[in-house]
Amino acid sequence: MSDPSRPIDPDSPLARREFLTRVATLSALAAAGGGVAPRVLAQAAKPLVDPAGTVPNEVVLGAKMQGFAPHSARPLTWSTTAEYQDFDVTPNDRMFIRNNLLTPDLDAANHVLRVRGLVDRPLDIPLAELKKMPSFTTQGMVECAGSGRVGFQPPASGTRWQPTGGMGCPTWTGVSLADVLKRAGVKAGAIHVAFSGDDVGAVPTAPKVIRSIPMAKAMERHTMIAWAMNGGDLPKIHGHPLRMVVPGWVGSASTKWLSGIEVLDAPFKGTYMDDSYRIPNPPVPPGSKLPPGSPITEAWPVKSMITLPGQGDRYKAGGLLVVRGSAWAGDYDIERVDISLDNGATWQPANLTPRAHKYAWRRFRLEVPLTRAGELTILARATDEKGNTQPVTSTWNPLGYFWNSIHRVGIVVDKV
Amino acid sequence: MFALAVAALAQEQLVPGPGADLTQAKCAVCHEIEHVVRARQSRAEWEDTMRRMVQRGAPLTPDDIRVITDYLATYYNREAPSAAAQAASAQAAAAQTQADPVTQLLNRNACLGCHAVEKQVVGPAFRDVAARYKADAAAPARLAKKLKDGGQGAWGQVPMPPNPGLSDGDARLMVEWVLTRQ
Repeated sequence: MSDPSRPIDPDSPLARREFLTRVATLSALAAAGGGVAPRVLAQAAKPLVDPAGTVPNEVVLGAKMQGFAPHSARPLTWSTTAEYQDFDVTPNDRMFIRNNLLTPDLDAANHVLRVRGLVDRPLDIPLAELKKMPSFTTQGMVECAGSGRVGFQPPASGTRWQPTGGMGCPTWTGVSLADVLKRAGVKAGAIHVAFSGDDVGAVPTAPKVIRSIPMAKAMERHTMIAWAMNGGDLPKIHGHPLRMVVPGWVGSASTKWLSGIEVLDAPFKGTYMDDSYRIPNPPVPPGSKLPPGSPITEAWPVKSMITLPGQGDRYKAGGLLVVRGSAWAGDYDIERVDISLDNGATWQPANLTPRAHKYAWRRFRLEVPLTRAGELTILARATDEKGNTQPVTSTWNPLGYFWNSIHRVGIVVDKV
Repeated sequence: MFALAVAALAQEQLVPGPGADLTQAKCAVCHEIEHVVRARQSRAEWEDTMRRMVQRGAPLTPDDIRVITDYLATYYNREAPSAAAQAASAQAAAAQTQADPVTQLLNRNACLGCHAVEKQVVGPAFRDVAARYKADAAAPARLAKKLKDGGQGAWGQVPMPPNPGLSDGDARLMVEWVLTRQ
């Protein structure tokens, strides 16, 4: 909810529109475009209804890898585990889902991006016109701040992401946010840029999903307004027809269903800025509330995952084990990834692929002869270019963010 | 697998206890109840969660917040001993069976998540519904059908969810009660 003490231009795209108007518009769009009528999600004690103009979960999940139930239905959250992420580029059907509200069914032909706030020229850019600006394609990490949350003890509040769920590294196509901001002309005193999504709330009182980022990251040329993912139009669940991609940063900055940009003289004040995505500094005792004034999460710290072998895989003694995975570090490059086969007593460096794009993960690989039968635990530990290394256990925080502990996979080696 | 997961979700219910019905009704406005059932938090964290949900638009009065926080901090608290919770739960179940039939129906079907007698919450106030249809002899049958089938448009564009499991008799009983709330 916007802070009433902070006036916002009524013409601003971030001014919360009347919910009824919005739903009425969506209903009209649905009626005109053969959209989805209200329907029952599940035969629960109280059936969940999909309002007109939203995409039902079954439709979304039908396009995803089968075999993984969502972590939650309302809001929809979903991911696979690490062994199903053994790709250089994350395919659409493996990309994680983290909604705050319901999935909107938006009309690309009528989609307009509004730029307001501290700019010389407020802009209304139809999607077709935006696509005529100089565009580029880059591979970039998007990872939910809570990715890996189940690792925390005691359990932290929020989606039960597995240690390696809640992230992906597809390619994105779009324009630099910087180019759009330059076109609008950023005024002196502007320090933050806010993004507003068109996702639909279940109640009229639900505020819009809005996040702002500092000007330096907004002007970094990889910070992108994207309309394509892996070479095709954005899937509806991933922000169709337009989204932010703030690569390397917490996923909440990569606003889906983007329709509004506002240039501000202070960080945006709202529930998706102030009540979540914050970590106490210094840390607090487990079980505590989030203290006021805790800093907001931005770039992810260094992290890695083993994507081959999978947990519990069986191998034959005398064979060769290929250990493979991915490593990433927010705004930084990866310096090295080390593998341990003896619970951390000794480490050996894995081979790293070159950095394909500035914010792409790097793939690592190590071949290990399997000499003995028995159980074998494999640890992977990444270090970034600043010398930061993955911890054994990440620091507990009330909302369970930034789990980046050393990833561990156990396999069984059978006698020949 | 997804279908099985949905079926499993549908069977989840909150532990009976003081405030369980209100908690079920209010949380179910936006979440599947499994979202609550699987959570275990300290009282401090539940207070924080409730504050965050209010900021995200949850239709809750200060009394609602107090009752729901107490309920969740009692029955879904990873730190609290479970014996006290079980005793309270048995008492509440006994009390629930003594509640009048309409109150039981309203609670069981989570009607009070979106409706109140005196004021609009998400859906219209029961008093306003009664006022609108007081001269309409065909209203009871029509509204009873709407309780089962759901609807949209009569009171705005926020849809009323269907309640396919509701019997005709129960639907009529609730409608008759609502229409006398003037």
